Amino acid sequence: MRTVLLAQLRTHAARLIASTLAVVIAVAFVVATLVLLQTSRATVLDAVAARYVDTAAVVTSESSLSDRVDDVAALSSVAAVAPALETSVQANVPGRTGSQFLLVQSVADASALRWQQLAAGRLPSGPGQVAVSDRARAALNDVLTVTLVDAEGRESTAQATVTGIVDLHGDPEAGLFGRAFVTEQQARDWGATDPTELRIAAAPGVPDEQVRTDVATALRGTDVTVRTGTAQAEHAAAELMGNATALAAVLLVFATVAVVVAGLVIANTFAVLLAQRTRELALLRCVGATSRQVRRSVLGEAAVTGLVSSLAGVAVGIGLAAGVSALVGEDSAIPLAGVSVPPYAVLAGLVLGTGVTVLAALAPARAATRVAPLAALRPLDPAPLRSRPGVLRLVLGLLMVGAGVVLLAAGVVMPSLLVALPGGVLSFLGVVLLAQRAVPPVVAAAGRLAGRTGVPARLAAGNALRNPRRTAATATALLIGVTLTSAFVVGAASTRATAQGELDAEFPSDVVVEGWEMPGSLLASLSRLEGVDGGTTLRAADVLGPDGQPATVLGVDADQATSLLRSTAELALPRPGEVLVPEWQAETYGVTAGDRLPLADGGRTLDLAVRVVDQDMPLLVAASDLEQLAPEAGIAQVWLRLADAEPEAQVDAVDRVTDVVAEADPSARVTGMITLRQQLDEILDLMLLVVTGLLAVAVVIAVIGVGNTLALSVVERRQENGLLRALGLTRGQLRGLLAWEAALVAGVAAVLGVLLGGAYGLIGAASVLGSAGTIVLAVPWLQIGLIVVVATAAGLLASVLPARRAARTAPVAAITA
Amino acid sequence: MPVPVMTVPGEPPAARAGAAVRAAGLRKTYGRGETAVHALAGVDVTFARGGFTAIMGPSGSGKSTLMHCLAGLDTATAGSVWLGDTELTALRDDELTALRRQRIGFVFQAFNLLPVLPARENIVLPMQLAGQRPDPAWFDDVVARLGLRERLGHRPHELSGGQQQRVAIARALLPRPDVVFADEPTGNLDSRAGAEVLGLLRSSVRETGQTVVMVTHDPSAAAYADRVVLLADGRLAGELTEPTAESVLDALRGLGA
Repeated sequence: MRTVLLAQLRTHAARLIASTLAVVIAVAFVVATLVLLQTSRATVLDAVAARYVDTAAVVTSESSLSDRVDDVAALSSVAAVAPALETSVQANVPGRTGSQFLLVQSVADASALRWQQLAAGRLPSGPGQVAVSDRARAALNDVLTVTLVDAEGRESTAQATVTGIVDLHGDPEAGLFGRAFVTEQQARDWGATDPTELRIAAAPGVPDEQVRTDVATALRGTDVTVRTGTAQAEHAAAELMGNATALAAVLLVFATVAVVVAGLVIANTFAVLLAQRTRELALLRCVGATSRQVRRSVLGEAAVTGLVSSLAGVAVGIGLAAGVSALVGEDSAIPLAGVSVPPYAVLAGLVLGTGVTVLAALAPARAATRVAPLAALRPLDPAPLRSRPGVLRLVLGLLMVGAGVVLLAAGVVMPSLLVALPGGVLSFLGVVLLAQRAVPPVVAAAGRLAGRTGVPARLAAGNALRNPRRTAATATALLIGVTLTSAFVVGAASTRATAQGELDAEFPSDVVVEGWEMPGSLLASLSRLEGVDGGTTLRAADVLGPDGQPATVLGVDADQATSLLRSTAELALPRPGEVLVPEWQAETYGVTAGDRLPLADGGRTLDLAVRVVDQDMPLLVAASDLEQLAPEAGIAQVWLRLADAEPEAQVDAVDRVTDVVAEADPSARVTGMITLRQQLDEILDLMLLVVTGLLAVAVVIAVIGVGNTLALSVVERRQENGLLRALGLTRGQLRGLLAWEAALVAGVAAVLGVLLGGAYGLIGAASVLGSAGTIVLAVPWLQIGLIVVVATAAGLLASVLPARRAARTAPVAAITA
Repeated sequence: MPVPVMTVPGEPPAARAGAAVRAAGLRKTYGRGETAVHALAGVDVTFARGGFTAIMGPSGSGKSTLMHCLAGLDTATAGSVWLGDTELTALRDDELTALRRQRIGFVFQAFNLLPVLPARENIVLPMQLAGQRPDPAWFDDVVARLGLRERLGHRPHELSGGQQQRVAIARALLPRPDVVFADEPTGNLDSRAGAEVLGLLRSSVRETGQTVVMVTHDPSAAAYADRVVLLADGRLAGELTEPTAESVLDALRGLGA
């Protein structure tokens, strides 16, 4: 049988290309994910290990380490101890506006324990000197003005000269904020107290493990952990990689989707290939092959195909990872240097690819063994294959959909994603099982609609339905990708809309300028700016509260403000004669709603009705009341409303506001929710892009499946296509016939997928956001339409090659079978 | 279209005027040089309008190739084929396709019908492809004569072999083509169903003046024709008029078959 198997593979290699491609893509996806993960892990370990390169042992503790330094230093196996001191300061770099946060770390006094790599200059050797990381954006010999805040909250400033620039390449935290390196003494002066760890250098000739044991013995009874330098590096790297592991889990979920879709495509390919070989298989049975041998031969073919394409997939995956690594580089949130290929990634790729292929071929192989030897002697039966969908499948599918829908409903009502998610998975698996029954009727309906356009479309509809199981499997593969994509698109749109609504409520004013005694002309000059619709000023004064303590009162013109605000859902505004008191302040004053609150300023008093509100604002009164109480109150805030425009244009408007404010009052601060809105949009867009990109892999595999099924059908219908050509179907019409068939299958899958995905997206959004307050459900019709168009167009594209092949069929083929 | 006048030696002008199909100097060669096989080695033949002609010959004589070339299903290496006034050998593929669906009917040995379409759709398919509607009276007439009225809604796999061939004949006759080509139309049928199919083909010639050209290797099938053209080694090897099964068998023996 082996000779038969090999001959089959040689002869039908071309027909296996599509399923090979599906396996290659899926395996490449998995392998690339695993390789990138390992690469990132190795890169981080390298970067972290740099800190412990000459460190024999490290002591860490939850409690204070200050008192341990001398104990450790006294040991004979220890050459030096460096306490790692950390503090933070605000620093001003000359020539830059604003101060930045700097994380200050100590440089070991002992040169053996200094790990910092210098890009330029030298490490600090005394007070008033500092080496900084790239991120601090300071140059050598710059004098930094450092602002220190002590435990009591008192500020003081100091000067420090930049002596060196430290290279932190590969450190995953390098990009977060600037770092400053100073001597141990300087770190203490700047507020560092307890060392976070003690790094220990070994005396000459003493092995690391010996040092670790000695230190552990010396510190016995205290609450410390002692590790060798190497162990500490691994420990630190593992802590840093926590997030990357979550990312890997997400990536592997998408990889699983790709593998499942590939499995569907492969199963379909084998089913078609074996259907075409019915007579061959029957002939084998006639000449004495047992059904076991036939099955083994089919599965052997699957195993060889799976193994070969998995090998290719592993190679492609490693290449892909290398490409991504080169593109991303070391200076990103997930640093990558070179590629590390762990053996388990290669093994996983090979096992997965081969396993999925063999598994997918199991059902077709079982069908092949049922071929009766007599089938070889019967003429080819042109009757359409009638497949009976299993009752078990139907019942199971219905049960899963039912249970899933119940969980989904519960998830929305509660609302809880943890309940809705398994419901979504369960019901979708049920849908996939039911697709075999559900898809053909929909295709038939769509076909009747398309059939009105002419004969090719009518023939295509008939062809698409002659093997319902095959059509359903092809469509299901595409359905999965489209459903998931649209679920994410709709979910993201609803999240965006909901978050937008919440932002509006929380930050009702587009732009807020805050200061103290700002010039009166500011509002007029701001209102004139392009992109600013209007604004109002809020005056503030410090007055005496009922308890005799000073309290800040803000006066707002409610009518003017209301016309400017995006939402007044969460912002209460005072009517004349009323004062809005935040909850905490009402408690201090011992007042409740309806009480009177007396306020006094320079002999003037005002008695206002209390309304207790839950908002983070000072006492709020009507502008007219404040005018009475404190006529000299200065402008403390300006609220602006921007013209509705693209986010970019609004950001430009905020920039113009900032410029004008900076000139009028340099101490004033400009904040706008536009930036928040922008950030939210960016995050959602990026997420959506990444998710869509990952799901695109599944869609590509599915589209290959559509092309593959068509290509195999073309082989199968060679005679029939010849007959059609003989009877007067032009080449163009024959190509049209196949295009229609592809469009019907892909279009139905796309439409069903979008409907399902839209429902899942809305349900998901409702269950995630339901607890956050008012949900705004949004359906991005344009994107949804685009998904349908792209999926259908991809299906059409997939029909091009099979159609060309079919069009080459000579009419004589009909007669010369 | 002006018809270029061709003189074919030994052929009276009258026969040319009434010709439905004719071929001149038709050659079909497979391969090149030493290994070249001449399936047709220069065939001149004319089929009169309203005639029922059988093309016969031993296996490999080129009879199927001749039919394919005459019907525009295959291209000739040299020579020309005329369908009425139209030279098939000068047409491009799309023109040839349009001509096939309007002016030529086909009945094949097997695999005549599209499995996805019911009988009625199969019958009107070529006309639909041409964007035409069949004349309802003529459709009813054809269907009635072939005894298919009860079978129009059936799909091919629900029909017997003889019924399938009758659907194929109805399809071939419906557009009133210049000629119907039948390639071994009884090859897959038992003798009773075969006789029925041949009788139907002959009556379409007798009653409606349809021209039919049939390729067969069965002398008793050829006996239904008005005329038998014999082919051997890619050349014409004689012909019989008013053939009987015996006279055809004798003629074939003469060819060494």
